[in-house]
Amino acid sequence: MGQDMGQIVGVFATSHSPGITGFPERAEPAQRAAVEEAFAEVRRRIERLAPDTVIAVSVEHFTNFFLGNLPAFAIATADSYLGPATPEMGGFLRIEQHDYPGDPALGRHLYRFALESEFDPALVEGGMVFDENFCVPLKHLDPESRLPLVPVIVNGVNPPWPTPKRCLDFGRMIRAAVEAQSEASRVVVLATGGLSHWVGMRESGTINEAFDRDFLDRLGSGDSTRLTDYTGEQIDAAGNGAHEIRTWLVAAGAAGAPFETLVYEPVPAWLTGAAVAAARI
Amino acid sequence: MYSLQKLLWDVRKYPDLARRFRAEPDAVLDEYGIAGEERAAMAALDLKTLYDRGANPYLLYFCALEIGVDRGEYYARLRGEIS
Repeated sequence: MGQDMGQIVGVFATSHSPGITGFPERAEPAQRAAVEEAFAEVRRRIERLAPDTVIAVSVEHFTNFFLGNLPAFAIATADSYLGPATPEMGGFLRIEQHDYPGDPALGRHLYRFALESEFDPALVEGGMVFDENFCVPLKHLDPESRLPLVPVIVNGVNPPWPTPKRCLDFGRMIRAAVEAQSEASRVVVLATGGLSHWVGMRESGTINEAFDRDFLDRLGSGDSTRLTDYTGEQIDAAGNGAHEIRTWLVAAGAAGAPFETLVYEPVPAWLTGAAVAAARI
Repeated sequence: MYSLQKLLWDVRKYPDLARRFRAEPDAVLDEYGIAGEERAAMAALDLKTLYDRGANPYLLYFCALEIGVDRGEYYARLRGEIS
């Protein structure tokens, strides 16, 4: 690999609960402060890393895709992305609707590289809008929306799901793709979702703290076998929203390193085990 | 179930459809070709039945909010406390 080739300079993963921006005051003040400080720490780290582009990996909650055409993975290559999707969603999340810049060149490279690596993601050249998936964490991490994005969507909202191993391997492919191009020399990977939560289910408001802490422990071990050793049923025990940890597995594959947990707070008022983590790279 | 889930999704996307469903549910259910137990349950806002039949919880919850079922009522209906 030549010195001019791109590299992944940072990998982060965060929850994206609407409560983080939409109703932060409902959390216990100490929990809110701890979560916001962890987001601020990641914002400072990203500023220091000065990335050219952020590959942003999340799910989307039927805001774009539906059961008529539901990709397991998708890569977006648009010039820009509107978010939140509607003014009403913006009011709920307390985020003014605006455009987020894209990095179409790196997006197209990543899509082509994925196919050549025998992955088969969907291609999204335009029309994608953001929901809490990206809008919530980016309000804290890039409040001016300056960072160009390559959105990557993983199905975390409707079973059957891509396997944990496939998600990790997709992340490894992302790393190889970044290192096989030279236009974006410094790339950050940001994954968002999870941890335990139930959306639209009877258990909503429950948090599976044991699942969450065990997941963060596995992530901290850097042991990819442990990290991918989940059945769908085991993840179900932490709620339908816990399936979003697939995005964290993509991040782990892209990092190829263990993570440190910057914060974990089970926040019932946000209906979520809220976490922020950073790869030790 | 696909037709029902399509309705759930469209209601969230199109506010006019949500309004129309509230005003004339049978006409909307006709348009979407929803029949049988799912039709009866949707017309009655029997969300528990739709949930137990496998409607995606995200789609069901988002649709409920659009047709005037608030969060508390949604979960009460899901638990069968309101029917």
